[in-house]
Parts: sequence; structure tokens; C-alpha cells
Amino acid sequence: MSTMTTARGRIDWLGIFFAGLLTIAIVGPLLVVGTWAFTEVWRYPNVIPQQFGFRFWAQTLGRADVWNALMLSLQLTTVVTLLSALICLPAAYAFARMNFPGRNILFFSFLAGHAFPKFGLLVAIAAIFLQLDLIGTFWGVVLIQLVGTLMFMIWIPVAAFQSVDRRMEEAARDVGAGPFRVFWSVTLPQAGPTIAAAVLLSFVGTFYETEGAWLIGAPGIRTMPVLMISFINNQMVIQFGAVLSVLLWVPSFIALMFARRVIGGGAFARGFGG
Amino acid sequence: MSEATKQAVRPLVDTAESRRPIGLLFVAIPVFLVIWLVIWPAINAISRTVWRKDKSGEMGFDLSSYAFFFSDSYSLDNLSITLWTTLVCAILLLMICLPIALYLRFSRGRLAAYVQALAIFPMFVPSIILAFAFIRVLGPNGMVDILFNAVDLPKIRTPYLTPWGPVIGLVWDNIPLTVLILLAGLGSVANQSIEAARDVGANAVQVFWHIILPRISNSILVALSFSVLGIFSSFTLPYLLGPASPEMLGPFMQRTLREVQDPVGAMTQAVIAFGFCIVFGLFYVRSVARSREK
Repeated sequence: MSTMTTARGRIDWLGIFFAGLLTIAIVGPLLVVGTWAFTEVWRYPNVIPQQFGFRFWAQTLGRADVWNALMLSLQLTTVVTLLSALICLPAAYAFARMNFPGRNILFFSFLAGHAFPKFGLLVAIAAIFLQLDLIGTFWGVVLIQLVGTLMFMIWIPVAAFQSVDRRMEEAARDVGAGPFRVFWSVTLPQAGPTIAAAVLLSFVGTFYETEGAWLIGAPGIRTMPVLMISFINNQMVIQFGAVLSVLLWVPSFIALMFARRVIGGGAFARGFGG
Repeated sequence: MSEATKQAVRPLVDTAESRRPIGLLFVAIPVFLVIWLVIWPAINAISRTVWRKDKSGEMGFDLSSYAFFFSDSYSLDNLSITLWTTLVCAILLLMICLPIALYLRFSRGRLAAYVQALAIFPMFVPSIILAFAFIRVLGPNGMVDILFNAVDLPKIRTPYLTPWGPVIGLVWDNIPLTVLILLAGLGSVANQSIEAARDVGANAVQVFWHIILPRISNSILVALSFSVLGIFSSFTLPYLLGPASPEMLGPFMQRTLREVQDPVGAMTQAVIAFGFCIVFGLFYVRSVARSREK
């Protein structure tokens, strides 16, 4: 196809090299974790576990702290995603379609959070939350995670609204549709899929958010990732961590499937300044 | 109606005369959140660390918390391990991701698609799962030890709980975005210019050095800025994989705030982190804003 590959000959040795290396470095560790999750006995130095089974799934899922953390994580994530959609989508529509003083500077103000090293900013926020008694509370964590979703939930929907065909909206209005009807029947179906992807990605991103939850939420708020930290630190039964990893992996996998369309074509990287 | 069409073709930068302030109402809450929880904390952290109560209880200009940080050997050790980790990660990321991005740019087919899918894959692995996988593979009696033992090789010294632990984890975590940003930059290198250089006898190294590198230098800087901002104040991976002492700034700030309960000390560390990252932060924001305006 291109000059460089044809010059190298038929067999793509470089590709085989990269594929092999990345398989070992990226798939390998995850396979080990997956194996641990279905292992009952694996004593060093055996290469393969002595006994496979689901015993630790029952034990992990029987733990009250796992269920509490899962329920809390789902509650937090749902609240944050709904609030984020509620405040960001109208803002995105305004940025895409309306004209108001200071529009550009306000649009780019959402980049401000990315000019700082993230954890340093979290510490600065936590210092304010200390004075407001928001440390260790549900709403403190909601606020910190909400800020993390803002840029994502505004910039992607803005692009979605901007790409809606204006002539179709005008045609609908010409035949007598009201502004709300036009938005519901013409604008939303076109922008919908991209917006849904943004909502889903922010849901998954919030579900895995660890640093804010740990810094602001401890000790009262224990989300799934925070619980996982304590499982790793306390060196509990290895399989508990492995089973949790496999469980935690499921939402990520769904996001992977959805994100393919958003990430495709390098558009996602361009959003990050590529 | 005609006004609407005009707006549709108008770029984000506008010079219009008809401005309707109603739009401000729509964007008010998110903008308020950014001001309250991004801009205000940064200003607050700076002002509260330089304008403090002295012993007699009077407010005044006071840099003693900074003086303490830069004279305390433990703080300085933490700062230097942070700088070392960031530098090593940046170099390793470039050495790993640039060849992958170059390969992906000039290859088609299923193998290239597989390599690209794998390179992006870590984006969908939460760092907490990565930390667990790291310990199971490279930790004591982990998979590497098992495999080495099976072929009668000596045990490795595990990088777990050494400064190399966070380095390996952070590089793994940052591969996807670095590859994506570099790949987007390589998209602007035209095939014709490479073919033209080849026609006049340039070899692969010359093509890379004289044709490709100058065109993607901006993308390299963006990719590096992005990873430096993330790595410099990273928390989860250094906290779980790194040594307890010296520790990177992320865990150090967390401990100062929550365990030592010294908000002024923690904010001082945060402001110092801002200071070290400001160049990268501004460069990154400028590049994103520019590419967005196009």
C-alpha cells in the first residue's frame, strides 16, 4: 500500500514483533488476573493452578462490604451522570447554537481543569471542602466527580449539535413544526447517538474514578475502586481482588464497544490536542 | 431563518452584532462549577499559602511553608523522585509509542488493526485493575517468578514497591493516548512528500529525520505535555506500587492532608506541583484550543 511496507518485503516482521510484544505486555497481565479469579488452589511454583473453581466467587459475592460498595458506586455514578447531563447538555446546545457575550472564553474555560496536574487540583479542592465540611460525605464526592465530567459532557455534545443538518430543521419549521417539536423530532435523533456515547463514557469514567473518591470520600464513602485499594493494601485472599477485577471489568468492556465509534478516525485524539 | 443559516456556517470565533444573553443562562451552572471548583481552589491554594496568620495572629505575607518544603530533606527527596519518575516515563513513552505510531501510520491490514487495538486497550483498563495485575505478574512469587523458575532461571528483583513499579504502571497506562496523539499528528504527513524524498534517494532514517519529525514535533510536545501533567501528580499507581519512602508528590499530598491533617502543607505541595507543570499545562491548553478552533 505504501512505500515503507512494500520496501520491507511481503512478511510484516515489524508488525509481528509489535503484535507479539503488546500481546505479552498488555493481554498477558489481564489473563493472569482472569485465571486467578477462577482458581481455588494455585501454589508457587506451579505454572498452572492445581484446582479451578467458582468457590471464591461465592465468597466474594457473599461479602457485605462488596455489596455496599457496589450499590454506593452505582448510586454515585447514576447521580453524577444524571446531574452532568442535566446541566451540560443545555449548555452544549447553547454553545453550539446560540450567540451570547463571552461565548468563546466560556467555552474554553472548561479546559482550565486540564492545565493543572490533576491530583494537585484535587488537594486544593479538598482544602476548600474541609472548611465546608464536605469531606467524607456523599455530596462532596458527587461534586468532585461532577467537575471531572464537565469538559467531556460539553465538548462532545457541542460537536454533535453542530453537525446536525440545519436545512432539515428549517424544512420542519417551514411546514409548521414548533421549536420543541423540531428539537425532539429532527435535532435529537441526529445528535442522539454521539450524546449517548458521551453519557455512557462519563458513566463509566465516573464508576472507575478513584482519586477523588479516595481523597474526598474517605473514610465514610467506600466505592468499588476504593474497596479494591483496601483489598490490595491489606493483602487479603488473592482471589477476592481477582474476582472484583473481573466484575469491575464488565462496565469497561461495554464502554469499549461503544467508544469504538467515538474514538474512530482519530477524532478523539484531536479532542486531546493531537 | 436567514440568521440561523448564517450562524451555521459561522465558526466559533464570531464577530456578530446580534447577541442574545439568554444563552448565558444555559451555560451558567457548568461555568459556575468550573469557577468554584477549578479556578477558585487554585487561587485559594496560592493565596492561603502566601498570606497567612503569623504567631501573633495577624495576617501577613509569609512564605514559611515554602521555605520549609525546600529545606526539608524528606520533601526534597519526594520532589526529586517525582521529577525522576516523570522524566523516565516521558522518555520510555516516546521510545515505545513513536515506533508503534510510525508502524501504524504506514501499514494497513489486519495485523496493523490488531496492533492498534492492543495499543488503545489500556485506556479501558482502570488503573486499579492494572495495579492488581501488576502485583500478580511482577510482584513476589508472581507470574514472572513462576515462569523463570519453570525454566530454571534465577528470580528477578521485583519492581513492586521500588521506584520502577510506578514507572512501569504509568507507562502502561499512558500508552493509548500517546499513540493516538502521535498517530493524529502523523496523519498530517503527506504520502507524496515521503515518496518525493525517496525518489531523490533518501533512506528511511533520512525520511524520518527530515520529513516526518519536523511535521510531528508539535504532536510529540502535546503528547509529552499531556503525560507529564498526568504523571507528575499521579496518585493511585505510585500509592499502590511505589515505595513508602521516598514517595511521589501524589501520595505525599494525600498523606499530608488526610493523615498529618496539615492543609497548608498539602496546599503548598499542590502549588509547587502547579509551578513545575505550568509550562506543560499552558502549552497543552493552547494546543487543544487551537485544534478546536480550526
